[in-house]
Amino acid sequence: MRAWAYMLGGLIVWTVHFFAIYIAASVFPGLPLGHVLTLLITLACLAADAWLIVRLRVPSGGDDFREWMRKLALVGAGISAISVLWQGLPALIV
Amino acid sequence: MSPPTSTLSAPNKGGFAESLAGWPPPVLDPAGPYAGSVTTLSWILFFMGVAVLGVVLMALWIALFGKERLRARLGGKKVIWIGGIAFPVVVLTALLVYGLTLTRNLTAPPGPTAMTVRVTGEMWWWRVDYLGSDGQLAMRDANELHIPVGKTVVVQLESNDVIHSFWVPRLSGKLDMIPGRRNVMKIQADKPGVFGGQCAEYCGGPHALMGFVVVAHEPAEFQRWMAARQTRVQQAAAANTRGAQLFQSTGCAACHRIAGTQANGLAGPDLTHIGTRQSIGAGILPNNRGTLIGWIGNAQAIKPGNRMPPYTMLSGEDLQALADYMQAQK
Amino acid sequence: MSSETGFDPALYDRFPTKGERPAGELKQLEDIWCKPKGWELLTAVNNNYIGFFYVATAFAFFLLAGVLALVMRVQLALPLMGVLPQETYNQFFTMHGTVMMFLFAVPAMEAMAVLLLPQMLAARDLPFPRLSAYAFWAYAVGGLCFFASLFVGLAPDGGWFMYPPYTSTTYSPGINADFWLLGIGFIEISAIAGAIEIIVGALRTRAPGMTLAKMPIYAWAMLVFGVMIIIGFPSVILCTLLLELERAFNWPFFDATRGGDPLLWQHLFWFFGHPEVYIIFLPASGLVSMVIAAVNRTPLVGHNLIVLAFLATGFISFGVWSHHMFTTGMPTLSVSFFSAASMAVSVPAGIQVFSWIATFAMGRARYNTPTLFLLGGLITFVIGGLTGVMVAMVPFDWQAHDSYFIVAHLHYVLIGGMVFPFFAALYYWTPMTSSRALSERLGKWIFWLMFAGMQVTFLPMHLTGFMGMPRRVYTYLPGRDWDLLNMISTVGAFLFGAGVLLFLIDCARNMRFTTDNDAGNVYRGGTLEWLPTGLYSTRSIPVVKSRYPLWDDPDLPKDVEEGRYFLPNSATGLRETIVTSPLRAEPQYVQIMPGPSPWPLLAAIFTAGFFMILTIQAYYTAFANGVLAIACILRWMWDTDRLVPDKKVDVGAGIMLPTYRTGPGTHGWWAMIILLIVVGMIFTMSVFGYFYLYGIHPQFWIKPPDVTWLVPILLGHGGGAGLAILARYMLARENTELWTPGVLICCAAASLLFGFGVDCWNWTAHGLWPTASGQGAIVYAFQSLQGILVFICVLMAGYLSARNSRALIVCPRNNTMDLVVMFMCYTAVEGIAAALIARLFPGPF
Repeated sequence: MRAWAYMLGGLIVWTVHFFAIYIAASVFPGLPLGHVLTLLITLACLAADAWLIVRLRVPSGGDDFREWMRKLALVGAGISAISVLWQGLPALIV
Repeated sequence: MSPPTSTLSAPNKGGFAESLAGWPPPVLDPAGPYAGSVTTLSWILFFMGVAVLGVVLMALWIALFGKERLRARLGGKKVIWIGGIAFPVVVLTALLVYGLTLTRNLTAPPGPTAMTVRVTGEMWWWRVDYLGSDGQLAMRDANELHIPVGKTVVVQLESNDVIHSFWVPRLSGKLDMIPGRRNVMKIQADKPGVFGGQCAEYCGGPHALMGFVVVAHEPAEFQRWMAARQTRVQQAAAANTRGAQLFQSTGCAACHRIAGTQANGLAGPDLTHIGTRQSIGAGILPNNRGTLIGWIGNAQAIKPGNRMPPYTMLSGEDLQALADYMQAQK
Repeated sequence: MSSETGFDPALYDRFPTKGERPAGELKQLEDIWCKPKGWELLTAVNNNYIGFFYVATAFAFFLLAGVLALVMRVQLALPLMGVLPQETYNQFFTMHGTVMMFLFAVPAMEAMAVLLLPQMLAARDLPFPRLSAYAFWAYAVGGLCFFASLFVGLAPDGGWFMYPPYTSTTYSPGINADFWLLGIGFIEISAIAGAIEIIVGALRTRAPGMTLAKMPIYAWAMLVFGVMIIIGFPSVILCTLLLELERAFNWPFFDATRGGDPLLWQHLFWFFGHPEVYIIFLPASGLVSMVIAAVNRTPLVGHNLIVLAFLATGFISFGVWSHHMFTTGMPTLSVSFFSAASMAVSVPAGIQVFSWIATFAMGRARYNTPTLFLLGGLITFVIGGLTGVMVAMVPFDWQAHDSYFIVAHLHYVLIGGMVFPFFAALYYWTPMTSSRALSERLGKWIFWLMFAGMQVTFLPMHLTGFMGMPRRVYTYLPGRDWDLLNMISTVGAFLFGAGVLLFLIDCARNMRFTTDNDAGNVYRGGTLEWLPTGLYSTRSIPVVKSRYPLWDDPDLPKDVEEGRYFLPNSATGLRETIVTSPLRAEPQYVQIMPGPSPWPLLAAIFTAGFFMILTIQAYYTAFANGVLAIACILRWMWDTDRLVPDKKVDVGAGIMLPTYRTGPGTHGWWAMIILLIVVGMIFTMSVFGYFYLYGIHPQFWIKPPDVTWLVPILLGHGGGAGLAILARYMLARENTELWTPGVLICCAAASLLFGFGVDCWNWTAHGLWPTASGQGAIVYAFQSLQGILVFICVLMAGYLSARNSRALIVCPRNNTMDLVVMFMCYTAVEGIAAALIARLFPGPF
């Protein structure tokens, strides 16, 4: 399980972000609170992604397979960061 | 423009037949701001799509038939990072900001002076209720929506049975009519005309034949149109005709309402102003004596599955009398 | 190198072994994996057979649904055509969508996996061969019955999306809709069975040394595919169940007049429905990535990025379901999230497209049929992807939604993303399973006909949509200027049809099924499915050192054939394969596999009978079928989970592996966990429905019963879990009487039944009935789900006791016992959760 969490860390952050903002916007439809919560959740998840990226940039010192997992996790965190950013944008625009 | 009062219901140009036209494509030929901004977006998306497709096809061409040097450049991971990640991220970010801004503008709450109409989806026609400034029902109509030019009109969308979707491509995108809910959309026409509409959500049976028209008048003319209807006096001449009697005796009145008469049925379209409508059968046939006779005699042959039973037992004279009676309902 | 399981990777260096293998080993393998003869074909469970049947059946449904499409195109060629009457047309488009999605696309991808996956991983078979057989037969029998409803005019006509309230009894009183709900709901069960098989197969039966980094890209695609089915399909199973409950017993889940909501269906349906598109696309993308490397004779460029693209798609596609609902008037903020996520999901697609282009640039593509289908698919898919980005823009979608623009978009995505890759795969892999390759000359004709037909049919539809033509219309009026474009589309459809017809001719001329005399590696692929094989798959199971072992080690086929790797013989004298660890594929134990059996077939027939006969409301016959189905399943289970005399066997080069294992590392344990995730997802979606209905219509809700009633309910469930765990503990104590565990398990089931009974009684005594309101309906939906679980627990308890009495439950630990205990504990947890949620939220207000 730990290996999978390591490989999929960024994408798990994405999942948490998406469903958290969806719930926030559904529970407070049309209210400013929905926007504020979206913004806060987005910032928290971006911070989590940033932390993952910083950590994953350092070579793991393991064998080839370990390095392979690290690279996969790194790109995953990057894609997650972009998606989280995009999903946070509506809070600023709409 | 000041058309004579006798043709109040007629639009300044065009008519039902023109409202059906598919060319120029209604989505790309907007008649108001709520459709116009989407048309601009459509063209931007189209050209962007063509450009991206061009890039992909060119890359594929080089990959297959290009010079060795070019192919070597294309054959690395760098291309994936640039073409598959960086490029889409830049383009999509720009698009997303644009799209979200547009969404916000189009869904902004309407101003307080706007006119409000409630359109209710029925299997397979449209109930149109004009609401007064107090929100109360001011006038009933069906399958046709009249609006003043240059004003934002708020349309409340509801349904009495299944899900329908209200779509007048030249005035706005579509919005669903869902039982138990009220959706609100805004439309506005910038010029007079007749605009075709269509149910866009599959609602069973003759869903394909569930159309309607929106008629936009100059504001002054619209005022006259509305005033004439709200002060409608039952024409005495029509009231005692054979058609009027048949309307009661054959059961038409059980489902249809004609204001000022004993006909009070609400199951089918309101016929108080049927004589002024552009179309019959929910936007599928032009409204004239011949089509009325055909429709009353056997609506099932024209629009199979609709809720109006065939009246094949009526004689030709009966049908003519009924059609005349219908045409007299102005 | 570090290790995952404690296995020393240095042991791999013992292979390939030296010296001759003893004579007779090959003969023994052939005898054990013997060829079915005549009627025995029906009892075959081997993946070569089941996979081939499966692909052929899926293709047959493609043809059937395609014929429906052609007839519809004739009807639409001109305005007011009378080829199809209205109600028949409505049935046709419903069946076309349903059959293409549920009976062709998903099963075809599972079928390819059953055929290809074990060969690619060099496993002897998938881990649960009888489950594959059951899944296939259930699908084939159920699917044909479902399709036959068209011939008697009873086919569903509510669209493949079946939106209520149109599909409620008020507006669809006939049994047509029930055919859809029961038929499709049941076929989804077969899809889930396949997904479990594929996930466990990809993670646990890889050849030793094939780490996740070296796993073929197709296996990655299938792994993500399987997981997405596990997460997505429960949602559609739940919503079909709810709608059937509404139709049969008048429980108002979707009835707005009684506190239900039609949009609940749309949320549940699209939570499955959008991931479904990627569920179809990912395996096809995996096939493309394999074939593209082979025809270019170069490793796939950006392999790791594609793996990540699959994973990212798997996640993000679960955040886009509402982009089918942009026109339902959802709050602007929520809609915007889905728009953003729909953009995000196109990034992984971009990665895949450019990886493929880069691979073409690196290699030298041959001008052959698979290459043509790859290129045609690529271009078509890119166009569909671009229109996909367009409709992800909310204001644009308001215009495009439910117009012919969408018809064009979805066919570009599905034909470019799935059908063309599928044909590329058929041409590429036919030599693996047929003694003759398909014709290259005909193939090129087929491609150009299909490609041209596709473009001619669907390119004009973008414009038809802009011209205002809505979807799902059986006809249109003259004077709308749509005539010409529709006529062009119809001509294109027949071009496409001609291509498919030619393909049938090619198949008739060249497709000759074989298991041991195949045409071989015509396109010179580099992966393990091109090793020489017999019915037993490869003679020995190689150690994998790279992604393209056949390119990197030209001696490999010979060494494998001469038995110089793992399992050159049958170590136990039974069907078997090596189970390896999930990350690094280190050998862990030898799995004994079941052989041919008629029971999966019979179970499938009776299961299909149960659901189909239920539709026509012959309840007694239906339940008789249900009982028989259960009996057949138990009978097939009875043979499994047996010990063999040798506790450890030599699997080659002196490496000893156990033949029986228990606990979290076993394939059975994994399958049960996955099954429980499915069940848990069904429950999670119903909890979503609970909160959703409260959020929409709180005025219909009444106060729940007093919380003190929770005490007996929680005691019942908790006691059940406790007794089950105790039974497992007692089994481990060797001095207990033989019958103790069985009796304890029966007590556990009784305790769960008690908890469930009190919960139900409590609500009825409180005065809430399922027909009363949305609250009543959803509370009793919880009870229904719990009731099904408790019923299974009771069956399991009986089964386990019977095995116990026959001394088949062995000390100290036993897989059957472990799995039953796990299931019972889960049942208790779900029962407790349901009881708590329904009583504590929205609370005693």
